Amino acid sequence: MESYYLTCRSLTYAQKVSRVLTAARIRNMIVRTPQSMSREGCGYAIRVSPQELTASLAALSAASLPPKRVYLMGKGGFTEEVAF
Amino acid sequence: MIYLDSAATTFQKPDTVERAVSEALRTMSSPGRGGYACAMRAAEKLYECRERAAALFNVSDVERVAVTFNATHGLNIAIRSLVRPGDRVVISGYEHNSVLRPLHAVGADITVADSPVFDYEAAILAFDRLIERNTRCVVINHVSNVFGFELPVYEVSELCRARGVPLIVDASQSAGVLKVDAGELGADFIAMPGHKGLYGPQGTGLLIASDKAAPILYGGSGSDSRNPDMPAYLPDKLEAGTHNMPGVAGLCAGMGFVQSKTPERIAAHETALARSMAEELSKLRGVHVFSAPGFVHQTGVLSFELDAMSSEEAGEKLGEMGFAVRAGLHCSPLAHRSVGTIKRGTVRASVSAFNSKTEIAAFAEAVERIARGV
Repeated sequence: MESYYLTCRSLTYAQKVSRVLTAARIRNMIVRTPQSMSREGCGYAIRVSPQELTASLAALSAASLPPKRVYLMGKGGFTEEVAF
Repeated sequence: MIYLDSAATTFQKPDTVERAVSEALRTMSSPGRGGYACAMRAAEKLYECRERAAALFNVSDVERVAVTFNATHGLNIAIRSLVRPGDRVVISGYEHNSVLRPLHAVGADITVADSPVFDYEAAILAFDRLIERNTRCVVINHVSNVFGFELPVYEVSELCRARGVPLIVDASQSAGVLKVDAGELGADFIAMPGHKGLYGPQGTGLLIASDKAAPILYGGSGSDSRNPDMPAYLPDKLEAGTHNMPGVAGLCAGMGFVQSKTPERIAAHETALARSMAEELSKLRGVHVFSAPGFVHQTGVLSFELDAMSSEEAGEKLGEMGFAVRAGLHCSPLAHRSVGTIKRGTVRASVSAFNSKTEIAAFAEAVERIARGV
């Protein structure tokens, strides 16, 4: 199943992001950032469904909390960075 | 035992604190180190602690709330972040060694804004005279740990802002009791312990930090791990190594206690007790009490001297009688120099939300017996 990962600079930042999304009634989950998506090493990301990516980015933009990067994770662990 | 040393550590803690510590030990591992349940539970608790502190101290962003081991740790970070050898730093005459020693170690050019104890206006004027544009920073104790004297932090913050000088506030004796409003203060750093007026366990503290913060500890942060330097952002850059999660959970519960009681009500209770203590002790022959006229700008901390014996002797006798007080210089020789008590020190009695009028009356009777030599 496809999902999008919004990578965050820190766990605290990811928690701030998660609260904004939850307040906007967007289902999300804080997860460890897969190394394939991380240029900096360990970190945390927010996972959302493809259907909720646009709403997620809009909510974060309104809260001035942009993710670091956005990745699509497809079948078999395929990952691709997407522009946002 | 009647505990009257809350300016050092509040010994009686709310039940919720004990339960939170125990729960953390049983159910939480380390935040930022995994995505499994007990790590995420710890992460949630840590975030809740930051949120609670941000609400209590009007901090605009939870990322500015860093967890420390104590106020001394926070003050060391603050001073090391701002001060270089030879920098001119203006401090109050009531600073603790947790400020003096780091400044001395850095090699700062320290200027003391001297003012008489309990003279609020004189303290403002003293800072006004000394803060100049070339001042590297100002460090001010919100409340003297020796005399309970509330210093004019908000007025001094205005002076700093007008002259473009960074400010460090030591809120060790005020957090949880007086208004500590980070937004209004505009300070670069506000350091506080978790184990005094916030009723958390020992080994906890908070530092409300600006982006000027620089790490003094280096190590794992669970983030940016390929980078040999500490992360450049708060709070990670100040929180190397594993967090004290039982402490954080206890501190979070302690702040919950303060929020439910409200700092204003706690302060009113403590000040009433200390005022009553001052009035009773002032009636005794051979006892000299340091208290503010009308008890204005004084918190629940009271120092006194006895003519008949040293402060340490008095402290020891009171200890034998079942009263826990602190005697000596209280790690604040500068405050004693400011007041003229450096040679003998003082006996200090300090209260918390858990002390009662009955305890204060019993304490006054005990001091009376000691003063009479009974």
